[in-house]
Amino acid sequence: MEVALSPAQIEALHLSPSLSPASTFSCPSSPGSSSSSCSDCSLDCPNHQHDSSSSPRSSSSPRSSSSPRSSSPSGCSSGSDGTRGCSPPLDLCEDAAVDLDLVIDPEVALKACHEVLQKVKLLKVEEEPEILEKCSCDTVLVKEKGVLSDPPQPMKLTCQQPCNKGSIKEEEEDEMCPHPRQPNNDQSSAAAKQSLLLRLFESKLFDVSMAISYLYKSKEPGVQAYIGNRLFSFSDDEVDFHLPQLLNMYVHMDEDMGDAIRPYVVHRCRRSIAFSLQTAWLLGAYSSDMHISTQRHSRGTKLRKLILSDELKPHVVPADAYLSPSKRTHQRSKSDATHCTSLGTSLKRTASNPKVECGYDEPLRLTPQREFIKSLMGIGKRLATLPTKEQKTQRLISELSLLNHKLPDRVWLPTAAFDHHVVRVPHTQAVVLNSKDKAPYIIYVEVLECESFEASGVPARIPETRIRSARSADNLLPESVAITAEQRAGSFSTVPNYDNDDEAWAVDDIGELQVELPEGHTSSSDNISQFSVDSITSTESKEPVFIAAGDIRRRLSENLAHTPTTFRRDPEDPSAVALKEPWEEKVRRIREGSPYGHLPNWRLLSVIVKCGDDLRQELLAFQVLSQLQSIWEQERVPLWIKPYKILVMSSDSGMIEPVLNAVSLHQVRKQSQLSLLDYFLQEHGSYTTEAFLTAQRNFVQSCAGYSLICYLLQVKDRHNGNILLDSEGHIIHIDFGFILSSSPRNLGFETSAFKLTSEFVDVMGGLDGDMFNYYKMLMLQGLIAARKHMEKVVQIVEIMQQGSHLPCFHGSSTIRSLKERFHMSLTEEHLQVLVEQMVDGSMRSITTKLYDGFQYFTNGIM
Amino acid sequence: MSQVEKKAGLLRRTSSSKKPLKEKVVLMYDEIFAKEDPAKNNPRFWDELFLMKVNLEYLETKLECLDGDELMKTKDNVNSLFHHCVQTLAEEHQIKVVNALQTLCALFRGVHQKNKSASGFDIINMLMGFDKAEHRMKDLMESLDSLLCGEGSESLKALCLKLLLCLVTVTDNISQNTILEYVMINSIFEAVLQILSDVSSRGRHGYDAVVLLALLVNYRKYESVNPYIVKLSILDDEPTLDVSADLSYRFLQYKDKEEENQGGFFSTLTSMVGSMFIADAEEKLSVQTNEAILLALYEAVHLNRNFITVLAQSHPEIDIPTTPTTPVPTTPTTPLGTTPPSTDVMNSSELPLDPNLQTSNLLITFLKYSSIVMQDTKDEHRLNSARLCLIILTCIAEDQYADAFLHDDNMNFRVNLHRMPMRHRKKAAEKNVPSRPLVCAVLDLMVEFVVTHMMKDFPMDLYMRCVQVIHKLICYQKKCRIRLHYTWRELWSALINLLKFLLSNETVLLAKHNIFHLALLVVNLFNMFITYGDTFLPTSNSYDELYYEIVRMHQVFDNLYCMVLRVSTNAGQWKEPASKVTHSLVNVRAIINHFNPKIESYAAVNHISQLSEDQVLEVVRSNYDTLTLKLQDGLDQYERYSEQPKEAAFFKDLVRSISLNVRKNVSLNTLSQDILLKEFSTIS
Repeated sequence: MEVALSPAQIEALHLSPSLSPASTFSCPSSPGSSSSSCSDCSLDCPNHQHDSSSSPRSSSSPRSSSSPRSSSPSGCSSGSDGTRGCSPPLDLCEDAAVDLDLVIDPEVALKACHEVLQKVKLLKVEEEPEILEKCSCDTVLVKEKGVLSDPPQPMKLTCQQPCNKGSIKEEEEDEMCPHPRQPNNDQSSAAAKQSLLLRLFESKLFDVSMAISYLYKSKEPGVQAYIGNRLFSFSDDEVDFHLPQLLNMYVHMDEDMGDAIRPYVVHRCRRSIAFSLQTAWLLGAYSSDMHISTQRHSRGTKLRKLILSDELKPHVVPADAYLSPSKRTHQRSKSDATHCTSLGTSLKRTASNPKVECGYDEPLRLTPQREFIKSLMGIGKRLATLPTKEQKTQRLISELSLLNHKLPDRVWLPTAAFDHHVVRVPHTQAVVLNSKDKAPYIIYVEVLECESFEASGVPARIPETRIRSARSADNLLPESVAITAEQRAGSFSTVPNYDNDDEAWAVDDIGELQVELPEGHTSSSDNISQFSVDSITSTESKEPVFIAAGDIRRRLSENLAHTPTTFRRDPEDPSAVALKEPWEEKVRRIREGSPYGHLPNWRLLSVIVKCGDDLRQELLAFQVLSQLQSIWEQERVPLWIKPYKILVMSSDSGMIEPVLNAVSLHQVRKQSQLSLLDYFLQEHGSYTTEAFLTAQRNFVQSCAGYSLICYLLQVKDRHNGNILLDSEGHIIHIDFGFILSSSPRNLGFETSAFKLTSEFVDVMGGLDGDMFNYYKMLMLQGLIAARKHMEKVVQIVEIMQQGSHLPCFHGSSTIRSLKERFHMSLTEEHLQVLVEQMVDGSMRSITTKLYDGFQYFTNGIM
Repeated sequence: MSQVEKKAGLLRRTSSSKKPLKEKVVLMYDEIFAKEDPAKNNPRFWDELFLMKVNLEYLETKLECLDGDELMKTKDNVNSLFHHCVQTLAEEHQIKVVNALQTLCALFRGVHQKNKSASGFDIINMLMGFDKAEHRMKDLMESLDSLLCGEGSESLKALCLKLLLCLVTVTDNISQNTILEYVMINSIFEAVLQILSDVSSRGRHGYDAVVLLALLVNYRKYESVNPYIVKLSILDDEPTLDVSADLSYRFLQYKDKEEENQGGFFSTLTSMVGSMFIADAEEKLSVQTNEAILLALYEAVHLNRNFITVLAQSHPEIDIPTTPTTPVPTTPTTPLGTTPPSTDVMNSSELPLDPNLQTSNLLITFLKYSSIVMQDTKDEHRLNSARLCLIILTCIAEDQYADAFLHDDNMNFRVNLHRMPMRHRKKAAEKNVPSRPLVCAVLDLMVEFVVTHMMKDFPMDLYMRCVQVIHKLICYQKKCRIRLHYTWRELWSALINLLKFLLSNETVLLAKHNIFHLALLVVNLFNMFITYGDTFLPTSNSYDELYYEIVRMHQVFDNLYCMVLRVSTNAGQWKEPASKVTHSLVNVRAIINHFNPKIESYAAVNHISQLSEDQVLEVVRSNYDTLTLKLQDGLDQYERYSEQPKEAAFFKDLVRSISLNVRKNVSLNTLSQDILLKEFSTIS
């Protein structure tokens, strides 16, 4: 089978990551960055070119055998070892781990490593003298060392037990040996190719993005398996970004791919509840495009079931599986296949006989969170049936208050960036967002930050009624306890008074309120209240106090004038007020009203719950946006975009991280009745003020960013309800429901490249203004930068197309058209002309106006 | 068929035929009331007895016939009967359990009926014997507990609750029911809560359970340690939710019925008079039974602070009965309160999705209910209900958390209060009530009350409470600086009209009430607005409007001043309170004396005979600065609500009336347990 691989395939394997002749774009490092990365580049890129230009077809068979796959037979045996190894009790396994350290002589391992290193070095010297000329041998060495110390990481992680250096070295050796050794025995040129690929894989530049790309494009099981294993060495965050791609490949691609990815996923699932759930959700979502009959038995569904069955708990079995082969010291190859099968079998065993695994303290690992999410989605579903916004909001509030009462102990908000426990949902703050027939809603969630979600203790519950009294931290005893104590004490007295209103109600005496009031900014206008406080205490002194009626009236109008400008409450648009309120203020306000507010680790989060919407496209857009954002950051183009986190929970539900301090242009218009420019002037000050200029710059930078996004992704449905304006002047496009090949109802509107209305241009200072030129320049820079890294962007989209029925992939030319929009062939001058044309076209576009008009008539969006 | 037999048996017994044909069970009862041990001749006597269908009437009559001494003679056998009843409760045979429960009912009731004068201890002795009483009652309560919590039949649980209700209500004054001491020791609180926590059982037994709790809480509440009070007061979130869920359901049921009846009332104008009469009777009954629910709500709100938090929570699964409760066929014997509501609504765990119905919560339901109850306070029961509603509102208005959500700007609700149809005002377009914070509905309700109850038979007490509720809410707003967008004008004019009414009916009212107290409260409300208006009024115009309103109605204040001055200068019982009102009027009078000349001169200067509102406001606005007000003491202070000693008598009477009512309904209902027996006979 190994021999059966066609040369073309192998070539593809090598060529694919750098398909275009201008392969420098696939090189992750930017020429413009630091000098050290320059040297990296020189080290790597030539290899690449060399590789792609002169790959000989003759070298097919040896190379394929050189892949990690060659070790699979032994891997299988070790796998069966693994199953046997599982049977001993846990403490025995741990003993084995300790034994391991003794069995493997660190010295031997180290020596073996050096051996490998030497060989690799020699090979390099033989094959690529030109590189050695460019960069000193030392750099290579250092590099290699760096790489060598990298791969062991996964092994260490899988082991779940402390392994000392010795064992690491051993693993390292196991991992590395097959590859370098093979070339030694085979044709040197072929080996060179192999080693080049390997070197790429082992180099520092080999990042997750590249790994995913190779994983996707390689048809070689060995390479796939290798990369699958390499995933362990990347940081969790890096891989998490590409998780949708990984899982989509897992669901929709062939068996080898699945085998390559599975160990990593299973491993991560064991370690983290959050990862487990996210994986399960994504698997469910991406499996949903399959035919119903195949779906039930598909890999994705099976893995999803396995995760949701909550059997992937952290336990020693995988480590044990790993240990058994290691006991035989000279088991050299530890391919991913081994890893996979050993894990797989152990899993199967647990699936068929769950009792083996049931001795763990936490039987409900995933349940609380799943219930939490389920109830949030349930609320969304029920809200959708109510006809008016007002009813929806009322229902939402009452539903949330119930949820608040039944809030499970260990739940979290998956969109948050830190570990936390959800303690309270301030239900009265929630609002229903504008949507025609669905009922997305935004909730605010009070959380307590913690070290680690799983390890930290669950915060104690504080009753709602203790809002104010709970402020003093020393008074944290739940009221109920206090009362029982009191009642108990009372039971000793002969005639206790059970109508002890005083005690029962004294807990938060109204009097306390006066102290709690923010005296700071009211004291000046608060003489009356202070008088009244005095008057309570000094009832004896009959000296009458006189006040002027005019003062009272004046204070009243002054107080009223001080309240900040807010949006009017509109029953048809309840979210406008809630979203307009500055985040900081909202946080402060909710904190004051919360019984948990006094805790130092208290945080407020918010999330939009979407039910009945497929967020997979949104997720794709988020990934593309994030990728472009990092590209622009890397290339130092000051474009501003705001990718907001998306959480896909199924093919028709999910959560969105709200953009803070932002309201839609529609809301701005409706509430302020001003043009955008006037609104800017109202919010930020007159033309010459710094605040206005900053806001204007922000506006331009974000406009340019989103113009490019809209063009590249062909984002449609750009009415004012889908464009937000934040308090700093940035615009933020939301709702990527129509991207790439799909557009709303194909009405033929919105033929322009992006949305640029005259209002926007006005804010930028008109067509002749500097800021407008800056806008165009930014776009050009952004396009050039994006073009340079096109592969990274296209790859995200391309992988997701696999097996997908999403409307954005409709038709066959999605990827081709996407690539075309990067205009790889154009010179920068041509690009500039293109940008000019696009801006011109968009501004002139009647269709934009037409579409806004259409939206106004159909949905009432201004 | 058996019923016929039974009736026949009874007939014969009473109709002095010489050889009455008796049921076997009746014979067995006779054996018990003979002096010998019935088990002596027949060792399986007790087994057989409980297999027999209970003849409650006979047993009760028998017990009633025996007077104290006679009963003492058969004491051993009665004790034995009691003992075996309790024993049988633990058996698996459900028919036996049912029979034992019913026999116990009869025992408790029968013994009490005759021995109303006898002390509780004698009764305990008669039933159980002093020495064994504690043990027996412990067993009984444990059995009941396990029956209530167990998986058993719902009807069985219903019967258990009936037995408990029967036990609780055997005496008119619950505190004299000595047997309850054992119920205190062996608490069934948890069992009752469990009944309430289950949606389906809540539907069936909710009413009985809630009433039982309300009654138990009132057992010697002022003089001894009542564990039910303790437990109710420390209830945590979950169970309180359940209690409130049930309460809100009850209210809703009542409301529906009320609405039906109202419709019925108006429609009967064109239909038969007879049906109106029935509807009326039904209404009365339901009002009485609802007192119990209201009492339960009061106890929950008053005793448990956690309960306040659930007031605002909606319970959609029971708030919206998808099928309108079918009107019960009105035969006078059917007690309404104790018929279990249809359970099909209860069983659906998913929320019913009827877009036409608004989401509601207990507080809204309560407010609507109150608006109905307050419409008519002529009847004593209704007066009591209205009073209780106002007391509950007082408790709510005092609670900070409750105030917080009442004033929460994010929680807007439409509350359609029922308004009394009155000749002099047109029916407001009630469909268009705007969605507002709940406190607006409370204030509306208070205004509505103030406006609609100025009658000869002046409900002074209710007025006091009503004005106090308003005062408490305003104190909260002042302290928390909440600027409520409320049409304060309506409140002001209602209060001024109230003062006017007090003045014009001075002589009549003074005979019965201390009207100065009320007048003082009302004037002080105005003082709140005058001196602290800057802290809680929504717009600066509203402050002007306040002055406008005072100046416009200055006649009322002038008259009031004259009146109180007159009374306070005369020596008499009202001297002191009247002089207080005199002092409180100082600022109002200052305003009137300040602005009236200004307005008059404005009119004179501009040659206008009748100033428009805007013109007056203009004068007011331009003349603030020359007006000096006196700061009064303790305007924002109020006396906290306390049940004891002021309200103790009211609650005592209320509990007594509820007890009587419950007893009546229970006795009627337990007699018709044929359905239950049928159910079990088909099972076994």
